[in-house]
Amino acid sequence: MRILAVLILFSCLFLLINTAFADEMSELKEQVKTLTQAVQGLKSTVESQQKEINSLKETSSQSAALPDKTVPSTVVAPASPLASTPPAGAATQEQIKEVNAKVNKVIEAQKKSLPGEFNPAIGVVGETLFSYRTRGSAATGSDRPGGFDIFQRSVELNVAASVDPFATGYAVINASADPITGEANLEVEEAAAQTTSLPWNLTLKGGRFFGEFGRLAYIHDHELPVVNRPLVLDRYIGGESQTDGAQVSWLLPIEHYVNFTAGLGDKFGDPQNNPGVFRGGKELNYFGRLSTYFDLTPDWQVETGVSGLIDPRTVDRGGALVQPDGSTLSEKERRLAGMDFSLRYVPLRDNQFRSFTWGNEVLFSGNRYLSDPDAIPDSGDEFSKSVNSTGLYSYLAYKIDREWTTGLLFDFLENEQNMRDRTYAYSAYLTYAISHWNQLRLQYTHTDHNAISGLRDDDAVYLQWTWIIGSHSHGWQQR
Amino acid sequence: MKKHPLRLLFLVVITGLAFVVQPAYAAKIKVVTTLTDLADLVRNIGGDKVEVHSLATGVEDTHGVPMKPSFVPLMNRADLIVLVGFDCEHAFLPALLEASRNPRIQKGQPGYVDCSEGIAPVDVPRSTDHSEGDVHPYGNPHYMLDPVLAETAIHNIYNALVTFSPQDQATFTSNRDAYLAKLDAKISEWKAEAAPLKGVKFISYHEEWNYFAERFGMVYFGTVELKPGIDPTPRHIEELITSMKAEHVSIVVREPQFPEKVPAFISEQTGAKLVTLPIMPGGVAHTDTYIEMMDYIVTTMVRATGK
Ligand SMILES: [Zn+2]
Repeated sequence: MRILAVLILFSCLFLLINTAFADEMSELKEQVKTLTQAVQGLKSTVESQQKEINSLKETSSQSAALPDKTVPSTVVAPASPLASTPPAGAATQEQIKEVNAKVNKVIEAQKKSLPGEFNPAIGVVGETLFSYRTRGSAATGSDRPGGFDIFQRSVELNVAASVDPFATGYAVINASADPITGEANLEVEEAAAQTTSLPWNLTLKGGRFFGEFGRLAYIHDHELPVVNRPLVLDRYIGGESQTDGAQVSWLLPIEHYVNFTAGLGDKFGDPQNNPGVFRGGKELNYFGRLSTYFDLTPDWQVETGVSGLIDPRTVDRGGALVQPDGSTLSEKERRLAGMDFSLRYVPLRDNQFRSFTWGNEVLFSGNRYLSDPDAIPDSGDEFSKSVNSTGLYSYLAYKIDREWTTGLLFDFLENEQNMRDRTYAYSAYLTYAISHWNQLRLQYTHTDHNAISGLRDDDAVYLQWTWIIGSHSHGWQQR
Repeated sequence: MKKHPLRLLFLVVITGLAFVVQPAYAAKIKVVTTLTDLADLVRNIGGDKVEVHSLATGVEDTHGVPMKPSFVPLMNRADLIVLVGFDCEHAFLPALLEASRNPRIQKGQPGYVDCSEGIAPVDVPRSTDHSEGDVHPYGNPHYMLDPVLAETAIHNIYNALVTFSPQDQATFTSNRDAYLAKLDAKISEWKAEAAPLKGVKFISYHEEWNYFAERFGMVYFGTVELKPGIDPTPRHIEELITSMKAEHVSIVVREPQFPEKVPAFISEQTGAKLVTLPIMPGGVAHTDTYIEMMDYIVTTMVRATGK
């Protein structure tokens, strides 16, 4: 119910902004029309005065020390054979300048009448998942019910603008349904400022944002190439790589593209760190990625990177983690490393109609836990242990034409708390992009659990509908 | 040596600095253009004072140049970025500018050279949402296909080069004037050659030819695309064919970055002649420069009329 209210609120807000602009726009358009007519008249006069100017130019010596900004050729069309109107009286440079100034004003007015010139760019993304899953949540470990499910995963408001000449700011506010209660949670997914003019090829980002780790951890749900975030990112990172912190990105000053990112934050993904009573630097998350890129041919590209995340001292992050055998684990140190590799075929000529991507990430988790076999704290049987586990995903995306993309996804996951607990998942999907802002995706997923997990194999079919209204930016990280 | 490691370090740093500082006046002006037509114009005006790289090779769609990370180091070192404007490069340029970490070429800086400055766009959408498609939000950006409007781009490029390097103004002025004289002569030639195009009706795949049609008196009847950037529905194709037959539209233009299937089908159904025309130099063979490309377009178009 609450999510509906939020949805309506967003829609109203958006409508309001739009109508306000529409009114202003039609008014401005009328003005522009009148002015354009006036300019047409002026234009022919100006064209006829061209010859006069030419003779003036010849007589005046080469004294023009400034670039001739004041005489764009659209209006004057100097010496153009197409401007064949005969001269109609004398004109001075001053008059021409005046006319040009007027014309430029009209043009500028026309450009500025579009929204986003003075106000933040605003966009809303809606994403609904219709699904059928053969087993209930107790058997799948999912936080969504089995059988038929309709899940409004995102109602996302995006706002972005320049802060000042030195920084840009943006916010992503999401009203998503709580998976368990169904209530709408209004969450600030991101709200960060990023510098635009630091020296030495540096960019600094601060606030709440998706920290850079691997390739898909910092992509919003609706922009993923598949319906669900790969299992390994969900388990090892905790979904999106959200952090409250700061991140520095450095482009190496060499001819080859190499980028290095490093950051620190209060959390990284989910669940949150337990705050504790006093923190040294060890309780924070430190993360980074080193990435590079190669053009194999003009049409084939390779992008690869290595990432790392460490929280040297976690204070029982996520609480007591109950294992299927009744024992518990408390996380004491979080360590994660990753490698990503993608091979792309992006034909220069017709990449809007044909392309191919093979994307891969392997993550290695090496968390240290305090294991408590009897689940009674401080009973004396506790011991420290590290669990080394691996997870990966590999997907193919083949763009058949402008609208259709099809692909496969393979998931492999060792539980980061118990490496013998392995999950395999196989998905096939078909994406139909009606336009750039309106997309349907059909996906089938079969998931294989093993006995240790206590979960059972299942099949699921998803239909995902994603739409965008308003502004939609193409940031570098989201490319 | 052992006694003076600091002095040695100082020496190394100074030598290093000398290397860094020296190219600042010795090197050429580094220009990156989004498209090949602009690169050709910059080469003609800048001559040997500039080093030009175009992001596009010529075969791309003007709205769909792949966003390659290998462009980033190029743009990082660029003194100027020269672009079409009217949001033509919306799909790839803003993100590349962000990634370039080059404050000198960001929007609003002197190194950001928007060639549309001074051009009044046609077909500015009436609505502010996406019901009119997304790729032409500020009006049609394909003004470079009108050689007279290309002269505005030349002026904008000239101004930017002079602002960046005032000491080379004389060179830029003489280069520009020589090129404009050549272009003006060509425009007269094209105008004469294009006389049979007056009133000839044509369609194209993408809404690319508004300025060209106006310059040479052709009638731009419609596009295969439903809206700029949106593929046709079967109903749109059907209606297009019916109206083309009724109105005797005689040419179907296909830009090389779009598939031939639908234009070929329309050509077959209506009897209109199908031609493939480049939208920037390098789009088809023998169109390496802007003038060669316009030559090719005018000649091919005239030939298609059969007159
Ligand atoms: Zn276009």
